[in-house]
Amino acid sequence: MAEFSWDVRSPLDRALVVGPYGSTGDAGVSLTEIRNFDLIQVMARRGKAAETAKAAKARFGVAAPETPKAVGTTDATLIWSGPDQFLVLSKGGKHTIEALAPVFAGSASLSDQSHARALISISGAKARMALAKLSSIDLHPDVFPVGAAAATSMDHTSVTLWRGRDRAEAVFSLLVFATFAESLWNTTLDAAAEYGVAIAHAADLG
Amino acid sequence: MRIVCPFCGERELGEYTYLGDAKPQRPAADAGEDAVYDYVYLRDNIAGVMSEHWYHGGGCRAWLKVTRNTLTHEISAVEPTAGAGAAKVGV
Ligand SMILES: [Zn+2]
Repeated sequence: MAEFSWDVRSPLDRALVVGPYGSTGDAGVSLTEIRNFDLIQVMARRGKAAETAKAAKARFGVAAPETPKAVGTTDATLIWSGPDQFLVLSKGGKHTIEALAPVFAGSASLSDQSHARALISISGAKARMALAKLSSIDLHPDVFPVGAAAATSMDHTSVTLWRGRDRAEAVFSLLVFATFAESLWNTTLDAAAEYGVAIAHAADLG
Repeated sequence: MRIVCPFCGERELGEYTYLGDAKPQRPAADAGEDAVYDYVYLRDNIAGVMSEHWYHGGGCRAWLKVTRNTLTHEISAVEPTAGAGAAKVGV
């Protein structure tokens, strides 16, 4: 049998070029792809929403979001992704599907999305301006504060969008299906080019 | 047109897909051919208030029952369909 091995690569491996893009000068938008994360979809089984919520509280120490919100725990982020369902985003193998399976046994169905999505972090003084070209969600801090989340579409592509902890300024996070990541990445670059973009990838969730 | 999803809030039409009339009910297994034909093929062409199924595929992926006036596009009610989000419909 022929020797064959798979390369684990980011879906943005080819499209992402580290460095400046668009207008020169101070970058108004920072686009950073976060690589190597664990992402598990938790969906309550019919009639088991309360049990799922209880199991999540016991596991993470905080209640899982029941409305469009993102909740930070000590070592994970729980992001609402639809009625009776949420995503568990973490690093370092703490909340893999193997680790969560016994936690939600009988109450929820789990689906490993770790390699099925790309995670893009968008920040900078002009981040909201660039996102406004792509999203119909109002991202003004009065209506989209820290911890707000949305299951929505950008450029006809389903995304999960949320505002995590600020790092001196607002940081928006975007989960997109791996096969659509390159397309949305290029569209986002187009939207942000006039403000100047700083492109990077990172291993930390931030 | 915008639809207020009971789970996500107000969203643009592009996030939704229209299925059609929400009124037809699947006939019983022994209901006979006419009832099944009616259920599968026959639809009222309503000018006025109508109950419709919409899918929030570009958002939370829930099925919704929307009460809409086909003459004015005025939407008077949006509810989750049975099974879409146990928390909201209590199943
Ligand atoms: Zn929705």
